[in-house]
Amino acid sequence: MSATSSVSRPVGPILQSGDVAEAVADAAKVDNPDSNVEVRDHGAYVRVEVDGGECVLRRATIEEELGRPFKMSELEIIMSSFTGRIDTGNDEIRFYR
Amino acid sequence: MALMERSEWYDVARDTEWTPRYVTWEELFPPELSGGEGLPDDVWRTYDEPYKISYREYVDVQRQKDAGAYSVQAALERADIYNNADPAWISILKEHYGAVALVEYGAALQEARFARWCKAPGLRNMAVFGMLDEMRHGQIQLYFPHEYVKKDRQFEWSHASMFSNNWVSLGARHFFDDMLMTRDMVSTSFCANFSFETGFTNLQFIGLSGDAANSGDYTFSKLIQSIQTDEARHAQLGTPLLQMMIENGQRDKAQKEIDISFWRSYRLFTILSGIPMDYYVPLEARHTSFKEFMEEWIVTQFMRELEDLGLSKPWYWDIFMRDISEHHHGQQLGTYSWRPTLWWNPAAGVSPEERDWLEEKYPGWNDTFGKVWDVMIDNFVNGRTEKTVPGTLPMICNLSQLPIVGTPSQTLRDTSVVYKGRRYHFASEVDKWIFEDNPERYRYQKNLVDRFLGGDIEPADLGGVLEYMGLGSIGPSGDDAHGYSWVESYRKQLADAG
Repeated sequence: MSATSSVSRPVGPILQSGDVAEAVADAAKVDNPDSNVEVRDHGAYVRVEVDGGECVLRRATIEEELGRPFKMSELEIIMSSFTGRIDTGNDEIRFYR
Repeated sequence: MALMERSEWYDVARDTEWTPRYVTWEELFPPELSGGEGLPDDVWRTYDEPYKISYREYVDVQRQKDAGAYSVQAALERADIYNNADPAWISILKEHYGAVALVEYGAALQEARFARWCKAPGLRNMAVFGMLDEMRHGQIQLYFPHEYVKKDRQFEWSHASMFSNNWVSLGARHFFDDMLMTRDMVSTSFCANFSFETGFTNLQFIGLSGDAANSGDYTFSKLIQSIQTDEARHAQLGTPLLQMMIENGQRDKAQKEIDISFWRSYRLFTILSGIPMDYYVPLEARHTSFKEFMEEWIVTQFMRELEDLGLSKPWYWDIFMRDISEHHHGQQLGTYSWRPTLWWNPAAGVSPEERDWLEEKYPGWNDTFGKVWDVMIDNFVNGRTEKTVPGTLPMICNLSQLPIVGTPSQTLRDTSVVYKGRRYHFASEVDKWIFEDNPERYRYQKNLVDRFLGGDIEPADLGGVLEYMGLGSIGPSGDDAHGYSWVESYRKQLADAG
């Protein structure tokens, strides 16, 4: 487990491990198709890092991955930290530099 | 009826700004409390909090967070962590709750002060949520240790430590009073929201949660990560203020406040996180060293946030990078030696296997700190336990209020300055720099040694000091977490060699 990331200018959420974290990590890959997405499992927490300085997460994509309705504000329940700046919307959250 | 999107009404609902008619603007927001001198009056309305949440969302989300944490606690109560976990893990819980729980109420006051005195209406609104966050943290971190009080009186410290004169409490109170309680709102936000919360709380509340899960304490793991989800939101309060300062020509002022609060936070966390992560976490559960956690959360993640804003690494970066491999090892030697002064039972963490781990993570450890432990181990093995506890007090820093330590024969030295006829001692060049930047702010605080020499502590011996610190009355003094069972392997080595 290395402390330094192989992606450049990474941004994204750091999540408590579990079903929602897995769905969000998968959604990050779907919603950021042109970027390298690295998911690093630290046991109790998961780092989702998207390179290039922008990570978009869409509610609809998370719902699809999760197989149930999801409110964007629910992300906060498992988001212990994040890298980059944040822009919070009802249907989309964006992390950026 | 369908609810409107938050973004459609948010800016109207959160803006509680009005034009005062019965008092002046300066009376409503006195500069010594509100800060931001030199910033144009119209800049405050432009403050735009990046992490937005409505009250409806807040209540919904917080209810779910609490339900998650409390249900894990209830479900696992029968797992009886207290009796089944390694005793050193229980020491981590004692240290954590005693150092953290009551401080959370202080942080609630700090957020409440934002809600009243900050000139930016957007920040005032978000600070109300921050205040409620911190009250939750105080309550939940008093509730969780409470089940242990009946099993072990050292857990009394969860509630009592900050009302006591224990040396750890003196250090923590000095830190929090300086960072959270006695600065103007702009400066407080840099110290508390930015340096402390965006940076260092991640170490303890996310880093340590991994160690907790590895150690089988899912209750604690869940609890501290749940707390940090609140921090991740309200820590964002400081960032737009930093931007406003930088855009209005006050970059240097902001940088200095970051430099001060970064160092003070770091040194406090060497005791709170550094010692437990490298010495108390059971070896089989210990995958990541304090230094590695520092590299992940601070050297990489926090520094990126800092540089994105256009700020620089602190001027003492080289000192800091060396310090993260050293300082907490010195604090471990000190706290273990003065174990009767602790409210928890410290683990030595220096069995032969653990020393191999330390040497791997910190090459050279055996040749420096290890040599001091060799002497202590020799005393234990030969039945001279009394020689392993000093009969006097350590040197204490007049800034951090924490013991002055260093790498034996390398960096252990006294850094001092004479100000208005009195000599003040410091734990580093950086502590001295912070003091000299504003000596009138810090000079009157009496550290433990000042109190001892000044006659505040009677009788003037170690027994008197322990009583002064509440040890023996609030809860029993600290002693080796494992009842010295780790010494056996060395005793056997000696017997085999002999």
